Amino acid sequence: MGNETEYAIEVEHLSKRYGGDLAVNNISFKVRKGEVFALLGPNGAGKTTTVEIIETIRRPTSGKVRLLGMDVTRKKYDIVRRIGVLPQGFSSFDRITVRETMEYYSRLFGHSHTDIDELIALVNLTDKTGEQYTTLSGGLKQRLGIAIALVNDPEVVFLDEPTTGLDPRARRQVWDVLLGLKKKGKTVFLTTHYMEEAELLADTVAIISKGSAIAMGSPDQLIEGNADYLLLTLQSVDPRALEIIAQMGFTPEQDNRAILVRVAQTDDIRKILNAIEDGGASFLSMDVRKPNLEQVFLKLTGEALHQDTVGEQGAQ
Amino acid sequence: MNLRVVGANLVVSLKSFYREKTAMFFTTMFPILLILVFGTIFMDDDKLHFNLYLQDLDQTDASAEIAEALAATGKLNIITVDPAVDAAKSTEDSKANLVLVIPKGYQESFMQYLQFGDPNAFVTLSYVYDPSSSSVVEKMQLLDGVFAAINQRLSAKPPFIRTTEVSIHTRKYRFLEFFIPGIIAMAIMTESLFGTVHVNTELRQKGIIRKLATTPITRADWILANILHQFILAVISTTLMLLVSYAVFGIQLDINAWLPLFIVLAVFSFVGIGMVLTRIVKEAQSASAAANAIMFPMMFLSGSFFPLEMMPDFLQSFAKTLPLYYLNEGLRAAMVVNDSVTALHNAAVIGAFAAVVFILGLVVTQWEEGA
Ligand SMILES: Nc1ncnc2c1ncn2[C@@H]1O[C@H](COP(=O)(O)OP(=O)(O)O)[C@@H](O)[C@H]1O
Ligand SMILES: [Mg+2]
Repeated sequence: MGNETEYAIEVEHLSKRYGGDLAVNNISFKVRKGEVFALLGPNGAGKTTTVEIIETIRRPTSGKVRLLGMDVTRKKYDIVRRIGVLPQGFSSFDRITVRETMEYYSRLFGHSHTDIDELIALVNLTDKTGEQYTTLSGGLKQRLGIAIALVNDPEVVFLDEPTTGLDPRARRQVWDVLLGLKKKGKTVFLTTHYMEEAELLADTVAIISKGSAIAMGSPDQLIEGNADYLLLTLQSVDPRALEIIAQMGFTPEQDNRAILVRVAQTDDIRKILNAIEDGGASFLSMDVRKPNLEQVFLKLTGEALHQDTVGEQGAQ
Repeated sequence: MNLRVVGANLVVSLKSFYREKTAMFFTTMFPILLILVFGTIFMDDDKLHFNLYLQDLDQTDASAEIAEALAATGKLNIITVDPAVDAAKSTEDSKANLVLVIPKGYQESFMQYLQFGDPNAFVTLSYVYDPSSSSVVEKMQLLDGVFAAINQRLSAKPPFIRTTEVSIHTRKYRFLEFFIPGIIAMAIMTESLFGTVHVNTELRQKGIIRKLATTPITRADWILANILHQFILAVISTTLMLLVSYAVFGIQLDINAWLPLFIVLAVFSFVGIGMVLTRIVKEAQSASAAANAIMFPMMFLSGSFFPLEMMPDFLQSFAKTLPLYYLNEGLRAAMVVNDSVTALHNAAVIGAFAAVVFILGLVVTQWEEGA
């Protein structure tokens, strides 16, 4: 077995070319044992390519990737025993029940001692053990996929877009399962194009766009480092306030009965509130927010993280 | 190679097959339905007409009376065969399954019997018949009845008219006995080829193969499980076909060690073709279409349903390039005429084919991305 380090995954100058197209361009990062690491980026950014190279099922064009100290291009059969994978768009045998599917994967790993019932309970599928895969809803299928990824008690768990295509309720249920894994101290490598998912689950986020990693750090660090403004929102505000704020040199935006103002520092907020009060205008409530990862991403890349946000909210 | 893993896969694939009721019904029942339908058709092939081909070598008034007596039964439609031709050849060529031959000198014997009261005078009529025809036995029984009646009228003791059977084949077998090995071969081909293509393209499309690539299962485990699965299906369906054929039509076929050998070789051949196809055709639906495009012409051109001799020469030569042809010929040699030399010859050809195509299939089956 290779030399063990404090890192579960070490990626150095990884590149991957499909024909003439560079899908992954000189990416480097390290994932510490026990942390939840998220690769955040829009469709086609190179997330699946990267994660599948680490999982040993695609070959890098150049660069070095080590998993638990082992070279992923040389130690496939040692590595696969120690990792658990939920592939993108996970699917399983239609006519095989939840329990049988778990038993099948458990046998592939030769883990006869796996407590299948415990895993099934972990993903909240206990009352579905006798159901055939084809009868499960999308969220249940993903949860079964997560249970399968845990069947060999892996040291590193890979989840490639675990909640894509799920409705908000099913997504939150998957998040609950993943928060449980995080609590257990599993090393989790997650890819997603949902900012909230990365923000909620990840200790470290790497933002990837067009094959390149453009920023890395904890969600807070990323926001601190890239957000040079605060967002003030005033609810049910007197229309006169818009004028008052504009006169102070800010550029307020009206959104229904709310006013949004970007300010550089907290001091500006105090000034604005005072000016409104002095002007005799009133408002019902206010809040101040840092921009979220979505806005950080937009700022860094000039591209939107995902186009489906509107549609999904519409479906809510 | 890991037997626990192979076993786990076999269980999953057999369960999947068993639970997919419509697919299971069609794969196992279709060949049996074919046997029942064709069997019934060939059983009845000319019950309605009962054409009787009659070759009168004597060409006398007395022999003409035989023809009249036969026509008088109302069940036989007499067709005369030119006395100049060979009755056996005529039986084969005209698709007549039986030619009744009245020998030269019939009238002479008849006169001797009648006028000189020679009780030892007799005449022998020949049934020149094709034993592969299912209705020929009934026809002979009918003729026997007619001649028995004539003998009775002549109060001949010993009988004046005697008959002899001349088979144009060395062994009596029926068309169904020729047909069933062809259906067995066809069924194994469809199950193995279609099953391999269907399951593999579907699992690849669903991403299950990609998931499996992240587990310790090897390609060899996977392929071995698929081979065993197809072999089990082939054995079950062959057994069912034979049982139904025995029960319904009372066929007689030799069941010997050649049968499992040919099943194994067939499974390897067609699973091999399936693996190659799976590699070439990416989408599950087009893969099924491609499998059909290979299987259907092969069924009709390899003599699964009817003897190849009925086809033009160039098609007969073409048939010899098809693996199913050798499977058909081999199974028939083994099960119908019990000819080990021919069986061995065909087994060798299909064995070589199986080895080549299966190794090719192994080489091209990919789980991980190549480059
Ligand atoms: N097998 C492949 N062959 C050719 N191009 C590919 C292949 N897989 C992915 N790509 C391309 O590589 C880029 C990155 O894809 P992918 O890694 O799937 O991104 P993501 O998972 O972030 O959506 C895309 O432009 C995609 O079209
Ligand atoms: Mg992806």
